[in-house]
Amino acid sequence: MAITTLWDVAYFMATALLGLVGRIIPPLAAPLGNVDLIWGLAALVFGAILLAASMINTIMLIWFERKMLGRFMDRRGAMHVGYAGLLQNFADGLKLFRKNTFKPRDADGLGFYAGPTAYLVTSLLMFGVLPVSTGWSDGSLPLSMLLALVIFSFAPLFIFISAWSSNNKYSLIGGMRSAAQMIAYEVPILLAVVAVVVVSGSFDLNTIVNEQRNFWFWTLPLTLAMIVFVTGMLAEMERIPFDLPEAEAELVEGWNTEYGGMLFAYFMLADYVRALAGSILIVLLFLGGWTLPSYVPAALTSFPLAGIFWLMLKTYLVFGVFVWIRAALPRVRTDQLLRIGWMRLIPLSLASVVIAAAFVLVKCVPVLGCVPSMGG
Amino acid sequence: MSEMWINMGPQHPMTHGLWNLRVRIDGEMILDVDPEMGYLHRGIEKISEDRHYNEVITLMDRTCYVAGMAWEHLYIQAAEKALGITAPERAEWIRMMSEEFQRLASHIMWYAAFVQDLGLMSPFLYGMRDRDLILDLFQAYTGGRLTYEYMRVGGVRNDLPEGFPKQAREVLDWLEPRLVEYDRLCMGSDIFRSRCDGLGVLKESDCVRLGVTGPMLRSAGSKRDIRKDRPYSRYSQVEFDVATADAGDVTGRYLVRMEEMRQSIRIIRQTLDWLDHHPGPVIADHLPRWLGAPYAPVGREGYLLKRNYPKGVGLSAIEEPHGEACAYVVNEGGEHPYRVKFRSPVFANLSACSHYLVGYRVADIPPIMGSVDVCVGEVDR
Repeated sequence: MAITTLWDVAYFMATALLGLVGRIIPPLAAPLGNVDLIWGLAALVFGAILLAASMINTIMLIWFERKMLGRFMDRRGAMHVGYAGLLQNFADGLKLFRKNTFKPRDADGLGFYAGPTAYLVTSLLMFGVLPVSTGWSDGSLPLSMLLALVIFSFAPLFIFISAWSSNNKYSLIGGMRSAAQMIAYEVPILLAVVAVVVVSGSFDLNTIVNEQRNFWFWTLPLTLAMIVFVTGMLAEMERIPFDLPEAEAELVEGWNTEYGGMLFAYFMLADYVRALAGSILIVLLFLGGWTLPSYVPAALTSFPLAGIFWLMLKTYLVFGVFVWIRAALPRVRTDQLLRIGWMRLIPLSLASVVIAAAFVLVKCVPVLGCVPSMGG
Repeated sequence: MSEMWINMGPQHPMTHGLWNLRVRIDGEMILDVDPEMGYLHRGIEKISEDRHYNEVITLMDRTCYVAGMAWEHLYIQAAEKALGITAPERAEWIRMMSEEFQRLASHIMWYAAFVQDLGLMSPFLYGMRDRDLILDLFQAYTGGRLTYEYMRVGGVRNDLPEGFPKQAREVLDWLEPRLVEYDRLCMGSDIFRSRCDGLGVLKESDCVRLGVTGPMLRSAGSKRDIRKDRPYSRYSQVEFDVATADAGDVTGRYLVRMEEMRQSIRIIRQTLDWLDHHPGPVIADHLPRWLGAPYAPVGREGYLLKRNYPKGVGLSAIEEPHGEACAYVVNEGGEHPYRVKFRSPVFANLSACSHYLVGYRVADIPPIMGSVDVCVGEVDR
């Protein structure tokens, strides 16, 4: 069997593992050969590999940001742990892991501990939904994009829970800002996605990506939608210039003021998990995902793991733009942020839907090619 | 949400030092503010009474830790007036150059801290990088980077080392394009403008009434600058313009400080040219030993008779990077000043904060307070 997808790897490992146990303890060989058991174990292995890969990528993303931000600021960034500071974040994580996590006396225990945990877990769920390459994530859901956005919008709930239960004024203000900001920016994001759906005719991320391969002027009708989506994502990720909920100049650390040790690490990690997932989402929706346009030589896309390579390359480039923005822009104020969201982005996103619909009606543009019609 | 008081400080990223801003807020709106200062009080004025005149200089560096040279200059002027000593010409020019370098360093430090409050990290590091070059210059001729102990009653400790003018000019040549870069990063950014325009407005009449001085006063349209109005040192012999703005808001203070940096560079260039052509002594001859000697010569009773000392009162005012600072030194005869009193510009600027904070939003506190350029060391003294 040619191993081409992650699912194949997981299945192979599960079979090998159970076969090994069966050989060591012969009486167990027959029950362990059960197909359901192998499939179940394969699913677990699949999840474990996915989790490990996404965590490592998240940590590499932090490294990438630190190094790139360092260059923008005329310094080097982390240099000492590992080659060019590659292991610095692992060292930082271990340090946080060793720290005592304490809870303020009047904080609500359940919300205080459950909030960050749920925040991290729901953020990680994103990687179960996002297809990273053909066959990487098995079973393409017909509504996977919608599911991804739903999972993405869990965050303000848990942020607000942890902020409220911290029993700290800064946390509470930060949490309320966070909730207001994320809810305000959900709307333009969803409307921008509608434009994508109109052009691709599908809610399935796999289909959306595959459509883009054949239709290389994809970004033309969706330029406006992409601008709106990227801006909205910037706010959803709470990155500068929209990082008001944790504006450290006035709110100390915003909603995670009272958190230390591993719970703080959960927040940091979840922030970058969301940043990674958001960047992947942008690449999937607007930049062709793991595919390259069909006129690109096949050699560029035919090497092993080419899909993942191109997807990650594009993801890091998109994130690089976010880092660039962070290095260059100050932070806006809450009322300005909400005004940008409600009064600029929502009209723009509506306009983007109209533009996308117009392109679908025209269907074929000379020279450029034909729009994949609604529903194929 | 109902009204509540929040304490911004004493340990809060906005304060840039050790003070507490109590803010009564309703949602995001500021209803009332109450600055609490004194966390960093070291009794510098009282300690000065127990020290020899030159030993007070050490305390001056610690009064404002980002503008040590300016405070040394302030104290030295008052002390020289009180003691009836004059410094040689070259020493005066070196002092003036030092003060302008200090103004540059202080304003760059302010710029770095101010933009960082707005969430801009890169200019912060650019500022720190460029300030380091000025600190290198200080190190080249005083040996210290923050606490110099360089000026002396009757002159300065030592002359400029060989090659210093060249090094200084190189730094200035590097800094000038950097200032343009700073400006482009801030004034070229719409977000920066929307965060700063029309915030923290304090009108000229209010500034005068409240004793607010320095860039805050000039940003409101006033042209008051002690360097021009009551020239001290050799400021009457150099050419420079007083930087002003009209709005009296955060942007105005930003513009005034940026322009002041350019003017400082202008002054320093003229000073360096003068120093090139006028060698000479940098400290007066025949200074009494008790001025700076760690152990003063003592008489038979353990101290010199008071009548042997000169008496006098010295009052000086300088345009410190943060505003107008005054020093009052009373010499009742003796090895130590009888009384030393300072006027800190930041203390007045900060005390007026209810006049320029109320009515704005919580998110406006960092840019507004950042534009005040708080140095807690000189507030509390």
